[in-house]
Amino acid sequence: MDAWWQCEIPYPFVDKSITDAADSVRASLPNRLCDPRIAATLFDEVLDEFLLCDDLGMNVIAIEHHAGINSLIGANPMVTSILARQTRNVRVLSLGTLVSLRPDPVRVAEEYATADILAKGRFDIGFVKSGGTEMASSNMQPVNNEERYWEAIDLIKKALTTHDGPFSWEGKHFSHRHVNIWPRPYQDPHPPMWAATGDPRSSAEVGRRGLRHILVLRGPEGTKRAYDAHRQARVEAGLPKVTTDNFAYAALVYVGDTEEEGIEVGSKLLWFLNTSLKSAPQFNKFLPGAAPPAAAPDLYRTQPRVEAGLTLKDAEKGVAPASRNAEKLISITAPEAMRQGILFAGNPDSVYRQIMEFYDKVGGFGHLALVGRSGYMTHAESSKSIRLFTQEVLPRLRAIAPVEVG
Amino acid sequence: MIVHGVELELLRRGSGRPIVLLHGFQQIEPDARCVELLSRHGEVIAPSHPGFGRSARPKDFESVYDVVNLYAAFLDSLPHEKVTLIGFSFGGWLAAELAVRSCHNIERLILVDTVGIKVSGPDIPDITDVFNTHPDEVKRRTWHDPANAPDFNGMSDEALIMRHRNWESLSLYAWHPYMHNPRLAYWLPRIGVPTQVIWGMSDGIVRPDYGHAVTRLIPGARLVSIPNAGHHPEIEQPEIFVDHVTSFLNR
Repeated sequence: MDAWWQCEIPYPFVDKSITDAADSVRASLPNRLCDPRIAATLFDEVLDEFLLCDDLGMNVIAIEHHAGINSLIGANPMVTSILARQTRNVRVLSLGTLVSLRPDPVRVAEEYATADILAKGRFDIGFVKSGGTEMASSNMQPVNNEERYWEAIDLIKKALTTHDGPFSWEGKHFSHRHVNIWPRPYQDPHPPMWAATGDPRSSAEVGRRGLRHILVLRGPEGTKRAYDAHRQARVEAGLPKVTTDNFAYAALVYVGDTEEEGIEVGSKLLWFLNTSLKSAPQFNKFLPGAAPPAAAPDLYRTQPRVEAGLTLKDAEKGVAPASRNAEKLISITAPEAMRQGILFAGNPDSVYRQIMEFYDKVGGFGHLALVGRSGYMTHAESSKSIRLFTQEVLPRLRAIAPVEVG
Repeated sequence: MIVHGVELELLRRGSGRPIVLLHGFQQIEPDARCVELLSRHGEVIAPSHPGFGRSARPKDFESVYDVVNLYAAFLDSLPHEKVTLIGFSFGGWLAAELAVRSCHNIERLILVDTVGIKVSGPDIPDITDVFNTHPDEVKRRTWHDPANAPDFNGMSDEALIMRHRNWESLSLYAWHPYMHNPRLAYWLPRIGVPTQVIWGMSDGIVRPDYGHAVTRLIPGARLVSIPNAGHHPEIEQPEIFVDHVTSFLNR
């Protein structure tokens, strides 16, 4: 198993009275609340942490989120390119510039090919579906977001792998008549590709396409369901079996010297869930396409309808909307997060044990992404966790070889 | 009714002079007071847009271009040589698009709190962003009296499911450019039939000033404002609304 460090560069320094009063801490919070000097310090610290990972042998991930306290990395290609050049040893994963929000996937392909050149082949491409407040921030149509996602991936892949001169693309969502990117990627045929998605339908598509499948904070049931859909789709399509190397999981992770320190400091990571997920109803339950029409009765009603003949709950209809998942996470406590496989925290032995328990529950995975710094965690605290993890936990994970699954 | 292979839900009420209603963000309710009142003056014909109400929406049918072409076919397929076309809100945009293409089967045009054009500068939104604004605020801006807003707690599952599907369809048609065609204002002067613009004076979704702008662009059009009504004068003041319609039709 391999490990990857990520930090979303959150900006927690907004008064609680303000975030409590706001209906959304993403998309709509005025940026006067973001002190650029503090932002500059945060970027400095987090980029240094990425370089510490490079020294200690842990791969790094640059994510992207827009317009909120949860993350200042709205411009993923900027951070990706810094990491591609300034790291020297480890792999760099862009997870990723939000392709369904970008008007021209060919430009994305150019950026990614360039990143692969800068990193001399140490580069991985990740595709994230996006949604929620980011549809407002990006002005992009939410209902056919997933269609754009797959079409963008098709076009990016074709742009990265076509070497015989210009080709033309006239798809439903993207049109680019003269595609011919320079430079071409360093890796042949292209950098490894990841996809972050959890619902069974798109998980199946990830499987058919043979992308590395990463689940983020989904817990064991949701993660196993997605991995299973991935594998099942391959079986049904008559595709070869894959190994655990095709599967990845991202959790909040903190390693301390002692169990108590690990849990105490690691609990700071829950800020990401408790504070930064809050978004207004127009960005979640009422976002067009976010929940299927069948979920509407529970979304619109503020009280149960007494005389209603239909009393099925969302879960029974199989339509639990993403907003429900977010509601559950917002109020989560540290013990609960640890029990659910969302937070791995404690001393090195304990963290290793928690990871492996999760590994067994979901049928194995080959890559662990550590959401290792969030909220008010300090540079010193996250640097300590990076050192302890790479020295005490990572060697044991590396000993776990990929096994065939499916 | 099936038009160009698309199954459309159609509400018909009354007889006589044909009056086609193109609805706004929600389909027209069969028991709406304004439908009953209008049906005393003619045959009310109210289709639900593809993806609204019980109308089908074919795969990839996702643009106003699709809807306008479908309604052009719809008007052609009616037995009437010419109809009065009333467009509400989003349906006003559709009606205006139809009228700038051809008025060969439109006798008179009525635009009610319509959207469809860009009036102000790029940094001034003419139309409240109903997708990106808190639902409570959208409700406040929609109604003169919020008590006229639908009560979701009292609605059936079927009605709520329909509402959510309407919302999805509306966002496909009108998300970008938001609720308007940047070129439509240029073409509005081409409308060659008597046109009445009707506006709810308390409309906070599209303000009455916007109604003035629309009226100025259509040759000979007149504007009438209805007090104590927001974005839906036909719901909040149905009697006055229908009075204005009939006096325009009899003019």
